[in-house]
Amino acid sequence: MSIPGLLAEGFESALLACSLILLVPGAAVGLTARAAAVPAILSFAVGVLALSWLRFADRGGDFPPLLVAAGLMVATILLLVPLISRLDLAAIPAGLLAGGAAAELWLPCVGPDFGQLLNELPDRGASGLGLLALYLFGTLSPLVALAALHHLTPDWVLERLEPIWAVVGGTLLALLAVATAAGLHDDLVGKLFQWSAA
Amino acid sequence: MNWSRFVAAVLVIAVVVALVAVRFRPDEPSAATDAAIGPEAADRAATDAATGPEPGATRSITGGEEASTAAIAPTTAPEVGPEAPPVLDGKPELTGLDGWLQSDATGLASFDGQVRIVHFWTFGCYNCKNTLPHLQDLYAEHHDDGLEIIGVHAPEFDYEADVDNIAAAAVDLGVTWPIALDTEKVNFRAWQGRRRFWPRTYVLDQEGRVRFDHIGEGAYDELAATVQYLLANGA
Repeated sequence: MSIPGLLAEGFESALLACSLILLVPGAAVGLTARAAAVPAILSFAVGVLALSWLRFADRGGDFPPLLVAAGLMVATILLLVPLISRLDLAAIPAGLLAGGAAAELWLPCVGPDFGQLLNELPDRGASGLGLLALYLFGTLSPLVALAALHHLTPDWVLERLEPIWAVVGGTLLALLAVATAAGLHDDLVGKLFQWSAA
Repeated sequence: MNWSRFVAAVLVIAVVVALVAVRFRPDEPSAATDAAIGPEAADRAATDAATGPEPGATRSITGGEEASTAAIAPTTAPEVGPEAPPVLDGKPELTGLDGWLQSDATGLASFDGQVRIVHFWTFGCYNCKNTLPHLQDLYAEHHDDGLEIIGVHAPEFDYEADVDNIAAAAVDLGVTWPIALDTEKVNFRAWQGRRRFWPRTYVLDQEGRVRFDHIGEGAYDELAATVQYLLANGA
């Protein structure tokens, strides 16, 4: 397995429909978190890495859909309802929960280098986690760009747009939670993919 | 200029450049174009519905399924040399299928005595499509010697679950072997456990035991060696 190949496959996977189940909730978390988009997306990435490693290394995970849906719903509530006074602090558990839930729903399409990693992952220790993080850096790169774009946006624009983003992102997260509970999350993401492809 | 904004700008540019670079990598099929096969296949399916399928597209759908317990899949790809490929855990079956395309099979038992490649795929999956030329080469070379490929189609999205779309994609992609319709992903889950991926390739020997298991693209030489060994030496 080549490290550059693995990284390139990660970036390539960001353009594939198989990764939408990670990117859609990730973007929704970033939008809903408003001013806390950066910590929310970073926490989301950590959640994805942790749960996908547990599953793919055959060490755990694979939770029932209702629990995954609950994770998404709690993340939505944490970001929209001021249960924790500071939004940047609420964004961290919300991002972790949503990231873990997304990783549970993720069924990746696998190229040669990522395939080799997955074949070896149960027998690898920390190096497997590091290599998976490298791949996911590419896969989740659009979310990194989203967080950076948020940081680049002037404050007066953010003040006007953030309430709209929060509604759009929160609605998407809540819809995904309901669809997951009903076993229809693939259909929801598939429809988003078809609309974007059309 | 604010340093954090400078770093953010560099990050955005770096991500865009990386995505454009992999998107337009030379000598590679376009991921984005390939990923859009769903709507294209849907259009072709609509044409087929009006005019009938293209010649060579067998559209027989049978609803048979095998009533036996699916085994948990093995997890390691064997290294195949001059020695026999190892027997991995499990002797899986196909259960709960929605039918077959391009075959009158009722389950794995319909192919008893043959070496079987069981290929989990879905037609919208870019990496699955990359494996097809290698499977086509093996099929052309060894089908008459006793090799059968069973494409277990486990859709991700609802348009990939449409039988007309699957049939149209099979014609388009040159998939001529039997396709088992695993619409509810019963076998996708049962064979792969919590390590579920597209594509995944198994080889079953003449007695139905798993002799090869590989996740993703690649390992084509090992796959061919396993098939050739089993065809030459039996289970």
